[in-house]
Amino acid sequence: MTTTVVLIKDTNAEGLGRTRDAHDIFAEKVKSAGLADSVQIVRAADLGIYNKGVVAKLLPQGIVYVDVTETDMDAIISETIRQGKTLDAKLHRGGNEQVRIVMRNCGVVNPESIDEYIAIRGYQGIKRALFDLTPEKTIEEIKTSGLRGRGGAGYPTWLKWTMARNSFNAQKYVICNGDEGDPGAYMDRSVLEGDPHCVLEGMMIAGYCIGATKGFLYIRAEYPLAIKRIQKALDQAYEKGLLGNGILGTKFCFDLEVRLGAGAFVCGEETALIASIEGKRGTPRPRPPYPSDVGLWGKPTIINNVETLANVSYILLKGGKDFSQIGTDKSKGTKVFALTGKIRNSGLIEIPMGTSLRTIIEEIGGGVADGKKILAVQTGGPSGGVIPEKFLDTPVSYEHLQELGSIMGSGGMIVMDQDDCLVDIAKFYLGFCVDESCGKCAPCRIGGFQMLKVLEKISEGKGEPADIETLKRIAQAMQKASLCALGQSAPNPIVSTLKYFEEEYRQHIVDKKCRAGKCAKLLNFEIVASVCKRCKLCVKNCPVNCISGDRETGYTIDQAKCIKCGNCFEVCKFDAVTRR
Amino acid sequence: MTKLTKEDLDAASAKQSANRPYIKVGMSSCGVAAGADEVFKVFKTEAEKRKIDIAVKPCGCSGSCHAEPLVEVSAEGLPSVVYGRVTPDIALRILEEHVRDKRLVQDFIVDMPVRR
Repeated sequence: MTTTVVLIKDTNAEGLGRTRDAHDIFAEKVKSAGLADSVQIVRAADLGIYNKGVVAKLLPQGIVYVDVTETDMDAIISETIRQGKTLDAKLHRGGNEQVRIVMRNCGVVNPESIDEYIAIRGYQGIKRALFDLTPEKTIEEIKTSGLRGRGGAGYPTWLKWTMARNSFNAQKYVICNGDEGDPGAYMDRSVLEGDPHCVLEGMMIAGYCIGATKGFLYIRAEYPLAIKRIQKALDQAYEKGLLGNGILGTKFCFDLEVRLGAGAFVCGEETALIASIEGKRGTPRPRPPYPSDVGLWGKPTIINNVETLANVSYILLKGGKDFSQIGTDKSKGTKVFALTGKIRNSGLIEIPMGTSLRTIIEEIGGGVADGKKILAVQTGGPSGGVIPEKFLDTPVSYEHLQELGSIMGSGGMIVMDQDDCLVDIAKFYLGFCVDESCGKCAPCRIGGFQMLKVLEKISEGKGEPADIETLKRIAQAMQKASLCALGQSAPNPIVSTLKYFEEEYRQHIVDKKCRAGKCAKLLNFEIVASVCKRCKLCVKNCPVNCISGDRETGYTIDQAKCIKCGNCFEVCKFDAVTRR
Repeated sequence: MTKLTKEDLDAASAKQSANRPYIKVGMSSCGVAAGADEVFKVFKTEAEKRKIDIAVKPCGCSGSCHAEPLVEVSAEGLPSVVYGRVTPDIALRILEEHVRDKRLVQDFIVDMPVRR
C-alpha cells in the first residue's frame, strides 16, 4: 500500500516557523488517530500557492486544501484519509495551474536517451503522419489545431507550410530557429536541453508535409549543452533509422544537421538566418519573396521556432482538435514564458493562452519579492513593450498584447517594481538593439543611435521638452522604414513607455529627478547633520574620498568629486545619507 | 544496427517501463549552474556504496529554475515528490531518510501545480 503524504505549508508566512507549528499539530493528530504508519506529514518549501493560509496537499490523491484550521485537520483525517471523501468547503480552486504541452517531457525523460523518448510514445507523431495521413491531411491537422508561430509574429503554421508545399521545386528545406537572443528569454534552450527528440520529430513532420529531405537546426553557439544534447539526439536517431533514408520502412528520407549561430541577434530574423547558414554575412534582405518561395540556396524553405516544432509533434500525437480546446479563439494552445525580473519564482512557466498577466505574476510567479508593488511588466524582449500594472488583467494572446503596444514575442517576461526606472529600461533595450543592428539599412542604424543619444541626454538631466517629440518622430520613421523586424520593432520599448509613462520622462526632463533613483547623474547624495552619528562608515566606503570632515564638525560630501556610486547611502546605518 | 520499423516503435512504446524506483536530477543549464552535477554524483556513488537499489537518471528542467537543483524521487510505496535547492548534504539525507527509511525529508519539497 502506498503511504499517504500530506504536504503542509503556511502560505501567509515567509519563514518556516508557522509551518512548523501547523506540521506539529497535524502530525500529533495523525499519531493519536493511530495512522502514524500510513500517513506522513511533511513540511514543504513551496506549493505554488500564496496567501491562502495553511495549505495541505494530499499525495498521491493530489487534493489541495487551503485555509486549513485545526478542526479541518480532524476532518481531513476522518473524511479524506479514512473514507476518501473530499471536503468541498476547503478545496483549493485555483486557476493558476500550468498546462504542459511544449514542456511535457522536460523534467520527465532523460534527454540523452532515445529509448526513454520512444517509451513515452515518442516518434508516434511522425509514424501517424507517415502511415495514417498524407502530407495534405497532416497540414489539415495542424490547421485544425490553430497553431501559430511561437517565434513572435504568430503566423499560422499551416499557412506557411502550405505555401512551401505548393511552391514547386525538387529541393526544399526545413529550418529550426534556435537562435534565441532576447535578454532574459531561455525557453528554447530549455526545450532543446530537456527534450531534444520532440524538436527533431517536429522537424521530420514539417519535412514530410512540405516535401523536404533536408533540415538544419540553427542553434546559437552560446548554448553548448543544448548543442551537445541535440547532436547526441541526432546520432541516436540516425542509429535507429529514424533519420536518413527510408524512415520506418517508408520511402520518406530526411536528413538533419546542426549549424551554429555566432551570436548575432539579427540572425534570429529568418532571411538573416538563411544568409548565415549559407555562409554569408548575417544580414536580412527585403521580403517578398518569402523564404517559402525563395529561401535557403534559393530553394523553398520553412523556418519554425523550437517551441512551434515541439507543439507540432504533440499535435500529431494527440490530434489537432485536442490541441484547439486549449487557449482563446484566435490564439490556441499554450505559451512558455521565461519569467524573470523582480519576481519571487523566476523560471519557465507554461500557461494556456488567455491566462491573465496578473495570474501569471501574482499566482504562478508568487508576486514581487519583499512585498513591493508591481510597476509594469515587459514582454517580448527588445521588440516588445512595457505593460503598466493597470492592464495586468489582460489575457495573454497575440491580439491582446498587440493592442497594448507590446507583443508576445518569443516569451521573455520581465517584471518591474517601484525601484525600476522606465527611462532606464527603455535605454537598456534600445542600447541592445543599437549594438545588434546589422547596419544594412539607415533607419535602424542611424535612428536607433540617435534615439539612444536622446535617451542618454534625458537620463543625464540635460533633456529638453522637445526631446519627447523627437523620440516619437524617429520611432515612427524606424517602424515604417526599417528593412527587418529588428529595426521595425526596436522603438517599441520607447513607444510603449512614452505611451504609459510619459510623466516619468517629464520628471527627468523638467524636474531633473529620477523617481526610482536609477539614473545616477540625476541623484544627489547628502549627509543630514542632525541625524549623522559621525561613525565615519561612509568616509571609509567612499571610493573617491570625496567625504570630508571630522567627528567634531560632522561630514560633508563634495558634490563636484562625487561619482554617485551610492556606497555611502547603502552603508549608513542611521539613514543619515539622503538620495534625491 | 538494424533500422527501426513501425512495429518496433509500437512495441517499444507499448512496453511498460518497469516500476523500478528512481531519482531524477534536473540537469539543464539552470540545474547545472546551481550545482546539479555534484548532486548527481552524490546520488550515484552513495547509492552504490549503501547498496540502495534505485535508478539515478538525469532529466531536463521542469521550469522551477529558482529552486534548482530539482530532484524527483519515486521510492517504493511512496508517492513521487520533487525536492528543490538540493545540496550534496540534502542528497545524502534523501538517500538515507527518504529512499532507505521511507521518511520524507522535511522542508525541501517544491510542488508546483502543473497539469500534463
